[in-house]
Amino acid sequence: MGAKIFKRIKTKKTDLIACWPGIGNIGITAVDTLRGQVQAEEFGEIEPWDFFYPQKVSIKKGFLEELKFPRSRFYFKKVGRKGLIFFIGEEQAMEGEDVYAKGKKAYEMANLVLDVAEQFGCQRVYTSGAAVAPVHHTMRPKVWAVSNKKELLDEIERYKNTILMSKIEGVDNQGSITGLNGLLLGVAKKRGLEGICLMGEIPFYLQAFPLPYPKASKSVLEVLSRILGIGLDLSQFDNYVTQVEETIEKWYRQLPSEIKDRLEELKHIRYVKPTRLEPITEMSEEDKKKLIKDIERFLQKGGE
Amino acid sequence: MTEKGMFKFSKIPKLKSPSLVVSWSKDAGKFGAKVIDFLNKKLGSEEFCQIEPTGFFSLGGVKVEDDIAQFPESKFYCCERDELVIFKSDQPRYEWYKFLNSVLDAAEYYGKIKELYTVSGTISSIAHTSPRRILAVFNQPELKKILQGYGLVDMEYEGEPALNSYLLWIAKRRNIPGVSLWAEIPFYLAAQEDPKAWRRMLEFFDRRFTLNIDLEEISEEIKKQNKKITSIRRQKPAINKYIGQLERGFMLNEKEQEKLAKEVYQFLKERS
Repeated sequence: MGAKIFKRIKTKKTDLIACWPGIGNIGITAVDTLRGQVQAEEFGEIEPWDFFYPQKVSIKKGFLEELKFPRSRFYFKKVGRKGLIFFIGEEQAMEGEDVYAKGKKAYEMANLVLDVAEQFGCQRVYTSGAAVAPVHHTMRPKVWAVSNKKELLDEIERYKNTILMSKIEGVDNQGSITGLNGLLLGVAKKRGLEGICLMGEIPFYLQAFPLPYPKASKSVLEVLSRILGIGLDLSQFDNYVTQVEETIEKWYRQLPSEIKDRLEELKHIRYVKPTRLEPITEMSEEDKKKLIKDIERFLQKGGE
Repeated sequence: MTEKGMFKFSKIPKLKSPSLVVSWSKDAGKFGAKVIDFLNKKLGSEEFCQIEPTGFFSLGGVKVEDDIAQFPESKFYCCERDELVIFKSDQPRYEWYKFLNSVLDAAEYYGKIKELYTVSGTISSIAHTSPRRILAVFNQPELKKILQGYGLVDMEYEGEPALNSYLLWIAKRRNIPGVSLWAEIPFYLAAQEDPKAWRRMLEFFDRRFTLNIDLEEISEEIKKQNKKITSIRRQKPAINKYIGQLERGFMLNEKEQEKLAKEVYQFLKERS
């Protein structure tokens, strides 16, 4: 079990930006887009066999040619004075039949990633994921932020369109980040490394939608690029956002009006704790669950 | 890789460089287990080691099949005379990489594995009266060359890997020459048994390792099964028509395939 480094990188100070797939692939889309924009080059990989089952075999003319596993790769790019290490895992390291990593395997994976990053002077770790929120899909997603050190909170609050998890109504200063995107933050804390997780908002009724949600990835990208001081050209990415938006809109138009009316209310619902007195309109957890059930029922009927 | 306590040895066999034959329970027509059981019986193989199930199987209770409680088994047998190690196991649920390496570790405890053979059945749209082919996947060209003349057919496949392919791949990384052997089983016998396919596979091993095993018993089984199928063909014209179509090389549609498989299964079950 281990990481394979096939290209030495020369740098003393680096930040790690790591991500695994999750709801709406929000984090991984953001991180992979950033990696592509800065043209980071692959320099290492975590050997897959202890973490994953093979996905595909190629047998040609009676020979076993290839066995394909999910990849977990490292990339590097020096941007200004800073070295950026990207880590992109195609799958969460599973224990048993869970979708999200947990337990021994996840902990081993998180440690391997940080072992490599620390070899190259890692000081700070960024991860990204999804924040399932009572928002409407036409709204600009905010980015929920969590840090592993109190000292970083002031810094986070300075970035436009971010919100600390503690400011969310009903969260009551308690929350969790599922899977490796959260666990890495904890393991980094154990090692004394700074860590920030940026989570793009996804409407709760789209969390099981069989499509990515790039609109939230864009919000994460904007925050990440600001933190790292990188200028991005997101014109192509915007086309992708528009395409997915159109698909969602098409689906939304087919919803029965009683469901749509309730979802429309989300445009006016306040879920961030108020900084001043204002009228309260909230959607309870029970209402949300009921709405999801109604949508599921509608979809089961074939959307008629 | 291998942890202490993972194996339970009951005997230390005398082997120099054995060939390893691997099969998994519950493949098509319970093929692998049948072939291995027959080989073990005829060779007088002795059990010498087990892999402990912890970490590889779900141990949250037992499965019950035909009123019998089941428990995962992973057993090694040896035939010192023929330098053979035979491994028969349920398919592990977790930690495939570790498990498959352990299989090779236990067999290599006595010296380098000479060759690895995995044995399975694969469902085919042939008629039961057709000869059974053995499809083969090699992990090294040298072994393919050695086995030319054994009538093996090159396999072509792209998709989800079977455990055998994974084992073959690990063996390749450990520089162990290996081949996965897949005997064709007519789809309408997959839920029952296909002695004709057993015989084809056993003939291969008999020749490869000069075992001189008596296959008469299996020939009798084939005759019995053929008789039963001839009987259903006589009684049910539709079944006769479907099998006739397969014999002439025509495909059946999904509905016809289902009907044929269901009726043959019922018929053979009632008469078993």
